[in-house]
Amino acid sequence: MRRNLAPLVLSLAFAVACGKKEAPAPAAQPGGAHDKTTFVHVTIQDIDSLDPAWAYDTASHAIILNLYEPLVQYRGSSMSELEPLISEKVPSVANGLVSADGRSYSFPIRKGVKFHQGGEVTPEDVRYSLMRFMLYDRNGGPSSLLLEPVTGLASTRDEAGKLIEDVYDKVAAAVTVDGDKVVLKLSKPFAPILTVLASWAPVVSKAYGASVGAWDGSKETWKKHNNPQKTSEGFHSRPDGTGPFMLERWDSKTKEIIMTRFAGYWREPAKLKRVVVKGVDEFQTRKLMLAAGDADSIYADSLAKPLLESIDGVEVIDDLPRIDMNPTIFFVFKIDVQGNPNVGSGKLDGEGIPSDFFSDKDLRLGFAHAFDAEGFIKDVNRGKGTRASGFIPAGLPGHNPSQPNYPFDLQKAEQYFRKAHGGKAWEKGFKFTIAYNSGNQPREVIANMLKRAVESINPKFQIDTRAIQWSTFLDQSNSSKLPMFILGWAPDYPDAHNFAFPFMHSSAKYPQLQHYKNAEADALINSAMREIDPAKREKLYKRVQAIAYEDCPTIFILNAVRYRTQRKWVKGFEYNAVWPDSPYMSPFYTVWKE
Amino acid sequence: MRDALKAAWKNLRRKPLSLAGLGLLASFGFIAAAAPLLARPAPNSRDPYLIPQDGYSSDPRRPDARHWFGTTEQQYDLYYGIVWGTRTALSIGVKVVFVSLAVGILVGGLAGFYGGWFDELLMRLTDVVMALPSVILAVVVVTVRGPGLDNVVLALAAVSWPSYARLVRGDVLTVKEREFVLAARALGAGDMRILFRHVIPNSIYPVLVVASLNTGAVVLSAAALSFLGLGAPVGYADWGQLISMSRNWILGASGSPLAYWHTVVIPGTAIFLFVLGWNLLGDAFRDILDPRQR
Amino acid sequence: MAKFVLKRLAMLPLVLAGVTMLLFGLFQTLSPESRASLYIKDPRQLSSLEAVIREHGLRDPFHKQYLRWLRKVARGDLGYSETAKMPVTEAVRAFFPATIELSVLAFIPIMVLGVWLGTLSAVHKDKLVDQLSRFISITGYSLPSFALGLILLMVFYGVLNLFPPGRYSLESDIVVHDAAFNAFTGLILLDSLLNGEWALFVDALRHLVLPAATLTYITMALLVRVTRSSMLEELGKDYVRTARAKGLSEAAVIAHARRNAWIPVITIASILFVQLLGGVLITETVFAYPGIGRWVAQAALQLDVPAVMGVALLTSSLFVLGNLAADILYAVVDPRIRFK
Repeated sequence: MRRNLAPLVLSLAFAVACGKKEAPAPAAQPGGAHDKTTFVHVTIQDIDSLDPAWAYDTASHAIILNLYEPLVQYRGSSMSELEPLISEKVPSVANGLVSADGRSYSFPIRKGVKFHQGGEVTPEDVRYSLMRFMLYDRNGGPSSLLLEPVTGLASTRDEAGKLIEDVYDKVAAAVTVDGDKVVLKLSKPFAPILTVLASWAPVVSKAYGASVGAWDGSKETWKKHNNPQKTSEGFHSRPDGTGPFMLERWDSKTKEIIMTRFAGYWREPAKLKRVVVKGVDEFQTRKLMLAAGDADSIYADSLAKPLLESIDGVEVIDDLPRIDMNPTIFFVFKIDVQGNPNVGSGKLDGEGIPSDFFSDKDLRLGFAHAFDAEGFIKDVNRGKGTRASGFIPAGLPGHNPSQPNYPFDLQKAEQYFRKAHGGKAWEKGFKFTIAYNSGNQPREVIANMLKRAVESINPKFQIDTRAIQWSTFLDQSNSSKLPMFILGWAPDYPDAHNFAFPFMHSSAKYPQLQHYKNAEADALINSAMREIDPAKREKLYKRVQAIAYEDCPTIFILNAVRYRTQRKWVKGFEYNAVWPDSPYMSPFYTVWKE
Repeated sequence: MRDALKAAWKNLRRKPLSLAGLGLLASFGFIAAAAPLLARPAPNSRDPYLIPQDGYSSDPRRPDARHWFGTTEQQYDLYYGIVWGTRTALSIGVKVVFVSLAVGILVGGLAGFYGGWFDELLMRLTDVVMALPSVILAVVVVTVRGPGLDNVVLALAAVSWPSYARLVRGDVLTVKEREFVLAARALGAGDMRILFRHVIPNSIYPVLVVASLNTGAVVLSAAALSFLGLGAPVGYADWGQLISMSRNWILGASGSPLAYWHTVVIPGTAIFLFVLGWNLLGDAFRDILDPRQR
Repeated sequence: MAKFVLKRLAMLPLVLAGVTMLLFGLFQTLSPESRASLYIKDPRQLSSLEAVIREHGLRDPFHKQYLRWLRKVARGDLGYSETAKMPVTEAVRAFFPATIELSVLAFIPIMVLGVWLGTLSAVHKDKLVDQLSRFISITGYSLPSFALGLILLMVFYGVLNLFPPGRYSLESDIVVHDAAFNAFTGLILLDSLLNGEWALFVDALRHLVLPAATLTYITMALLVRVTRSSMLEELGKDYVRTARAKGLSEAAVIAHARRNAWIPVITIASILFVQLLGGVLITETVFAYPGIGRWVAQAALQLDVPAVMGVALLTSSLFVLGNLAADILYAVVDPRIRFK
């Protein structure tokens, strides 16, 4: 024992003497970020599941799309142009793979595509993958993205949670194998279907699935695999895809996932041998790792940018346009004033607000004119991003740059406030609380900016701002206890429909929480969804955006941009706003290090 | 009791450390009382406990003539926060001690006085609360009730009453057999009267001393909850929150690792000195109360 | 004695039932919508709120939900922790060794320094040494652990780059996950020695220095105080006076008294150790040290009920058993003590 102590003491002394700055030479660390074939990304996100049918969070999704491949994908940084992947061609009416009525899509399946665990992709595997994605249907999962356009049903279960018997038959009939092709039939034409398939329902192996406890593809067993427990199927942590990378290890204890290059990939193998994605909660540690070259890229929010700009060997790539609409301010048209701490007296008596406070359009317009969106962009976003003109972000088809938005104009705001509620609001004043979910700084600033501006208009206007936990936020927004709430929307797929519907359609969750309904908007959104002609769709969405402007149920603030921080030796990063968790994550297939 | 106090004072006077403790507490008492003079709230401020913000920029600023102690992230003035935070600390300490004492005395008093299954039941309840690590219980209570100082007080009271209850119960057990209690009973006094007029007043001095000297520890725990994000609302003058605001800045800027030292050292020192004052005093008192050192 | 131990062990299930009911009841005061927030993290999932509440039976009455949890526990299933992203039993296995390691590494210096300073204080009562050692321990006791932790990180990590946060570095991580590495115990310090991985041992030790030092400094005071007063009591006893009168060397007298002063020290120490195991929540959080405490802090903040309940079961059992161990030790050290 005594003999063993000497090297220990020595090595300890050595470690203390060198510290980390003079850490061993880069070459001595195989597998670290100093290795030119290993890429290390450090983030704050937790991976939830590697099962494509379960995962709905961006962190998991970004990994899944490196391990698995969907039928088609976006070309480079384009958000509208698709290129074939597992499907040999991108179906279109022109190439005859989309039927004239827009309801039938044929995918000729590529040959020679190998799964990580062995075997080649067959049309049957593709059929299984699409069906499993729809039938899995866990609560709060992504299944409805495909299930709804294909079957017309939002869920495989009814309101009471009971399985709908004929779902299986509908799904089975909609996805068929025809020789080398897989044919997908939609219940109604659904224009964005290919954009959905470009990031969801990637191809998994049927034989492998059955061997790791997932659904075996038969009608008899599907019910057992409907809404299962998170970890009950092998896909959760043991993926088997066709992507350029295969899973080496996922360790939720150390918040770390390691992928290695798949040698049998059907295209040229990836340039990187290894990709490490690691969770580190503390920004300062992430920054230190980047500066030391222990990380190749890190997650950092907009506030941290000045701290990253002058580090040797590190570059900041800024002004990468986003396609999410975040944050946005929602008015609630019918507030529950019973025992509600957010509405004061519950009456328009200067000490509170009544239930229908925000159903008055003049009042909403008053608020809309009192929010200094440009100031928000300047102060909080350091001048990055542009003023939103509606709910469809710049860069997406359907975005209408000439659509006006409300300018910051306190005089106009005053005019509207004077008119609101027949002048009573102005005369009596009001008092309520804007709650935002704690820990979200931009939302906190928005609440405070609105408060300050509105209070400056009339001393009888009183607004309190309060941070509440996410759990409380969910509860109170769901029970109409929040007069106004601040949230945002990140799309599932880059199509105007995925903005128009959640923000404006009365059967979507936000308008339901707001108690907002506009029949014309509903009808327009429905017909735009079924319209295949892009020009006609654009016209329909133009009108929906005009309605959003006139009704003003929601204040849309900005077309956001983000920045990416990486070591300068990183090459081949391709930005596509559609990619989950971009620009921090991207397809690693194109990336290499110099 | 007066004799005991006199003895205590005599004892204290001989110990420079406890005198230093007294001095520290007196200074904090002064700061708390003079807060409106030491750090003037903005004239239009609705609540003086809200720290004035000098802009929205995220990077803390170092101490200078304008901000004696510098600013935290988002430009909250540290000097103002420290001064008004003294009041917050004192009020949390006092409230927690008061509430937990009240509960502890009531539970312990009733349990000791009535004995039997009632005693058993209450004591098992204290066992349950004490079996849980107090931080975990406190964190759960605040999370469930929602962050905020009142809930911090509630949570800390919820975890600290059982030990007081035990102390009181022990003393009640001996006091209730004493002659004056028996005499009162013989005179026909009711249970409640005996308990509250005779037994409890004669059993609570040790626990009063112990509890009030715990003020320091209470303030530490409250600050710890604040640090976890469960304390005062953002911008409220609270030392724990000021420290938690420094969390992102302890590694400094590139090239100058100590650039933001003030964000953690200044509020850290404030809490430290405050708690130190109580603990120095408490240490002396514990000696006085410790029967083995008489 | 066997009877006493059995009786105390019989209390364990009662305490555990009480503890879990208390916690469960606390969570239950929240609305089902709030409790569903553990599963609904994204606005995109909002429309599934009701389905999630139904799936997890969050609207059921308290006793139904509690019994459902209890039945699962009886089957050995503690549920899935959404914060750890793994089943609770697995998470305990993953995080507890780290906490044990930290607790042991802090406990040793706490004992050694605490007893040493306490003895020193008692022997030189009211002298400068006494005042000094008490002052040192009281300052530690008065320091907010998170502020101390942050300052230590600032100096020893930010400036000197000696002692980083976390459990081990990325390089060590690769070693630990290497197929050739045998995780015998889950304790990195031990496993690294057993595998002959010196670099890993040193790396893990470097990560432990700051949290262990912080814990030592902030908890030492208790032991100093107990040792001191216990020693003072012994030194005041007749046999010490006799021994001195007989001309026994001062060192021998102190050694003698110290042996007898052990009893309260052991009691306090065993309770202290259990407390370290059960909730070094703040210290682990500050140093991003992946132990039980950091996990349960996150879990509680996110209403991860299965995780909090699982940890509560573990720590409360430890508490009861630790107290029992203290009582037994007490009897072993002092045969005069009889169990009632």
